[in-house]
Amino acid sequence: MKIVVCVKQVPDTAEADVKLGSDGRGIEMEGLPLQINESDNYALEESLLIKEDRDGEVTVITLGPESADEVLRMSMAKGADEAVRLADPALEGGDAWAVALALAKAIGGMEYDLVLTGCMASDDGMTQVGVTLAEMLGVPHATYVTEMEIGDGSVTVGRELEGGLVERVEMSLPAVVTIQTGINEPRYASIMGIAKAAKREIHTKSAADLCLDAGEAGEAGSRTKLLKLDYPPAGEGAEILDGTPSEASAKLANVLKEKGFA
Amino acid sequence: MPRVAARGPQAFNTRTGGHMPTLAEKYELLACIQCGRCTAGCPVSLRTPLNVRKLVYEGQIGPGPAGAHERPQAWSCTTCSTCTERCPKGVKPMELLIGLRGKSIERGKALPAVRDALESTFKHGNPWGRSRDKRAEWADELDVPIAGEGEAIPLLYYVGCTPAYDPRVQDVARALVRLLEAAGVTYSTFGTAESCCGNEVKRMGEEGLFELLVEGNRELFAGHDVGSIVTGSPHCMNTFLKEYGEPVGEVVHYSQLLARLLDEGRLEFKGSVEKKVTYHDPCFLGKHNSIFDEPRSVLERIPGVEFEELDRSRERALCCEGGGGRMWVEAEEERGERLADTRVKDAVDLGADVLVTACPFCLLTLEDAVKTSGCEGKIEILDIAELAALAL
Repeated sequence: MKIVVCVKQVPDTAEADVKLGSDGRGIEMEGLPLQINESDNYALEESLLIKEDRDGEVTVITLGPESADEVLRMSMAKGADEAVRLADPALEGGDAWAVALALAKAIGGMEYDLVLTGCMASDDGMTQVGVTLAEMLGVPHATYVTEMEIGDGSVTVGRELEGGLVERVEMSLPAVVTIQTGINEPRYASIMGIAKAAKREIHTKSAADLCLDAGEAGEAGSRTKLLKLDYPPAGEGAEILDGTPSEASAKLANVLKEKGFA
Repeated sequence: MPRVAARGPQAFNTRTGGHMPTLAEKYELLACIQCGRCTAGCPVSLRTPLNVRKLVYEGQIGPGPAGAHERPQAWSCTTCSTCTERCPKGVKPMELLIGLRGKSIERGKALPAVRDALESTFKHGNPWGRSRDKRAEWADELDVPIAGEGEAIPLLYYVGCTPAYDPRVQDVARALVRLLEAAGVTYSTFGTAESCCGNEVKRMGEEGLFELLVEGNRELFAGHDVGSIVTGSPHCMNTFLKEYGEPVGEVVHYSQLLARLLDEGRLEFKGSVEKKVTYHDPCFLGKHNSIFDEPRSVLERIPGVEFEELDRSRERALCCEGGGGRMWVEAEEERGERLADTRVKDAVDLGADVLVTACPFCLLTLEDAVKTSGCEGKIEILDIAELAALAL
């Protein structure tokens, strides 16, 4: 079983005070550690579990600058067999359409049974790459998958719906599946393992290798244009409880009591 | 060559082309006489399936387990070092347990909580999942010196991850700063440039990450020509002293520095604390580094303090279960009372108003235990720096 996993390197903004960049279309990246996009990490783990369960081969692919090699090396340390980086400044700065097209060109030229990726990127939150990629490859897809079982030439997945409902879908292979966090427990990549993986080759592909014209790649090949990022306007009705942790929690307890929650 | 061939392909290290040592060879387990003093002394053997002697035996008679994922009880070890202290044959069973964890880490089989702590340490320089730019927030209201780029630091106050980030332990860091100021000590910190020392990382078995931290810290220290270091945790002190290869300078725990400042007459107590006080020896200060007297000498010189020892003190002190990565990992198949609960009850039985300790992990586990053992209102848990600062 040949599995391709699409991953993206994103900044870790969990606890950061995110500031807008000077061009107003991005954020200040200085001081933000880079990491694999959270749901992509679950997609990677799912591919490795399939590989361990039945004979399989995992290729991990990303589009990004050289720093994104870190994510590929970490993936290889965990057990991915091959790594590909779509490495060309011309490919960068694209929207979901342009990224999906570059991935489709690369993956279309490979042998594959299953393409996995995260359901959403934590930086732009678009959720579009997986489904667009499936359309371009001409294969079925399922999104927000929280359970997956591989059958004979097919895959049955459970999609997370609202209100705790799960929709079960059977698809023929090859297919694209976008993975929701929590489907598994991603493994740890040891530093020794990453150091060993650093000696392995990362295949690179340029826009030309993917037979993409200048008008099809990156920003030029995008169908949407990001105009401006802005902070959300401050809302009303929020109350910030200050003081030491014990003071703040005492205040919170009072509020909950007053409002009849406790 | 025949020796290697006879052991089969699994015993052959393809990377070095050499023989891969067995557990028995690596940890010299064949010296063990199976007397059982390790398990008899192990503080968690009462509460968990961890049987140190049995794990050593498995390594003696065969290849032994492939890692802690096959013997999850190895994660119950607090690395208190009692087993190693008590072994009459010089075997180091604790090292075997850490080694088994390491084998699991290599295979990616870290427990989720351990994985998160390790990934956080790699990304942010601390195991608590907090961002680096918040590392100096504990000192926001204070005037704590932060060394500028390349500025020499004759005395470094290495704060440590838990005092820097944990809201309860931040109080200890602030109390220590007040004591240093009162004694007129010139010191400096690294601010947000400080990174984890790696003591817990090493005990979780992540040797590669530990080496990375050592490299980074050595470089940081050298760049500031660091003279002496006072650490905010016995865990940091332990690893700086014993596991950084070449010495990184004179390294002391803050209780040692406070004792010295009192000896020299630089620190004086103008106030008093009229309380009955007892002391819990942190394993990494006591058992690991034989620092028993300095904390006691500080306590005894605080005016008004009536000091009384717990029955199990010094080398016999009961572990609080906070070390060896156990701040992140629950013991396997726990049963019975937590050791910290026992410790708090012992202190209450002694009639102490305050149970004092000198370690961020001990402070947190003991304070939790006051609540879980039903001793709320009966006893207070304070760090030695906090108690001393009350008498300024």
